[in-house]
Amino acid sequence: MSGRGPILLVEDNELNRDMLRRRLTRAGFTVLTAGDGREALQRMEAEQPALVLMDMNLPVLDGWNACREARANPTTRAIPIIALTAHAMAADRQNALGAGCDDYATKPIDFPALLEKIEAFCPA
Amino acid sequence: MTGELQPFPFSDVLLRAIAEVRSIAAEVAPTLAAEPREDLTGVLKAATALERDLGDGEAADRHELRNRLGALRGYAEMLLEQVEGDAHAELGDCLLRLVQATHSAGDLTLDSQPGRGSVTITSEPGFILAVDDRRENRELVARYLSRCGHFVVTAADGEQALATLEESDVDVVLLDLVMPGMDGREVLARIKAHPEWHATPVIVISGHQDMQGIIDCIEAGADDYLFKPFNPVLLQARIKAGIERKRWHDREDQYRQQLERSEQFIRATFGRYLSDEIVTDLLERPEGLDLGGDLREVTILMSDIRGFTTLCEQLEPTQVVTMLNRYLGAMTDIILAWNGTIDEFIGDAILAVFGAPQGRNDDADRAVQCALAMQAAVDAVNTANAAEGLPALRTAVALNTGTVIAGNIGSERRSKYGFVGHPMNVTSRIEDATGPGEVLAADSTVAALAGRATVAESRELQARGIDEALRVHLVTGYLP
Repeated sequence: MSGRGPILLVEDNELNRDMLRRRLTRAGFTVLTAGDGREALQRMEAEQPALVLMDMNLPVLDGWNACREARANPTTRAIPIIALTAHAMAADRQNALGAGCDDYATKPIDFPALLEKIEAFCPA
Repeated sequence: MTGELQPFPFSDVLLRAIAEVRSIAAEVAPTLAAEPREDLTGVLKAATALERDLGDGEAADRHELRNRLGALRGYAEMLLEQVEGDAHAELGDCLLRLVQATHSAGDLTLDSQPGRGSVTITSEPGFILAVDDRRENRELVARYLSRCGHFVVTAADGEQALATLEESDVDVVLLDLVMPGMDGREVLARIKAHPEWHATPVIVISGHQDMQGIIDCIEAGADDYLFKPFNPVLLQARIKAGIERKRWHDREDQYRQQLERSEQFIRATFGRYLSDEIVTDLLERPEGLDLGGDLREVTILMSDIRGFTTLCEQLEPTQVVTMLNRYLGAMTDIILAWNGTIDEFIGDAILAVFGAPQGRNDDADRAVQCALAMQAAVDAVNTANAAEGLPALRTAVALNTGTVIAGNIGSERRSKYGFVGHPMNVTSRIEDATGPGEVLAADSTVAALAGRATVAESRELQARGIDEALRVHLVTGYLP
């Protein structure tokens, strides 16, 4: 079963990216990947994913700025973004939402909880 | 970053779980389908990356560690989904432990502040019994607590737990409430009803936020509780508190036993010379055992066997001892029954005092009745002697009333409750003048009896070493 999504997974850490890609694929999603914020914006514009999972700690252009740019661009403004951060501080949540993210998940990722969030944005 | 930074306190358990997976990976990999085999490779890669970061100490920041941890957990969970329920039970168990370890590790990295050292609680090592029907839970707890220096035994059900308690001196019981068969509540009830285990602290663990269950257990005697999945630092803290509670109880128990032993010792030592009442009084007022003394008005009783020296020459030493023990045994019982204090035996002679350490109004009365009872009891002793071919004994009892110094006399190393004073010497002189079978009492004793003694005759003694003449009375009966 494939075709749900596609979901754009933005993660610079190769192992994590590979792991999440596999898990999402197995859960029935088509998964696109990007390794930094700039690449993420390019793929969002070109491929219009149903949802973006974005690590905040990214090279070239970090997650916070990538979010702001995506929201400022009319072609990517409506694409939901779930921020993935390694910080569990309340301030991070505020920052993520303030930067234009739609939701927020803390690393290490609780996968079933993440799936629930994803389902909310792109129901089967 | 200073000193020995441990950004990752849970690493040991995690590293052990990793090592476990790695040890079976080569063997298991060829038996896996393509997808799970890739997942296993992912687990091993993520594990290697995590270990490298941990080994790096300062280089690894918290963000990176959480990424590594996330990758490791993700792969392990994926693989677990693939192998669950099929033939890879061992791999499944290992993975489950690994996943649990990453969760605990994740919680810790979450709670601790960056740059702060690890949260460790130092505790006296204890003997912990972990009771849980799920093997992975038992092993997780066992590993974690062993790492903290505790000795851990596990039990898979209630019966096993009770059997372990029977065999070993357990410091703390970690008890899962939900188990098939005998559940945690029943185990708790049995522990708290057991005379030797009831003080052993029990920490109950509930799988869900079962507050009512916890409340019931605390009412039933549980000492503490944890909800699953528990924070390892919290577990450690509660175990520590439990061990301390147990140690306090053990020490208390020891003191109590020590006290009982010394009381038994005092009773056994003094009990030979003092009546139970006097021993109890001494035990309740230990200051009474201080060296030193006080002046006391007492009635002194001295007795001896007439012609004892001659008897000794005619008999075998063993016969002498047999006879003497029988006689002194009978006399001791009588003196103690009349609440007299036996000061000493000198060969066949007995020195007893009425009125010390505790004085009473009827000291002289009891002394006279005691003396008469002693004379009366000699017949029974003689009957027993005759049965063994031993000669009959005749005894003389002297009484005198006066003021003496009573107290613990001697040195710190060796002291004895004793009496000194002129009346002691006077009693000895009266005793010299007492005939066989007689009870001879000084004027002072008869005066204290105020007519309650039957006096057969009175004599004047000219005792050596005593200036004035001594008036003594032959006492033959007592009328209350």
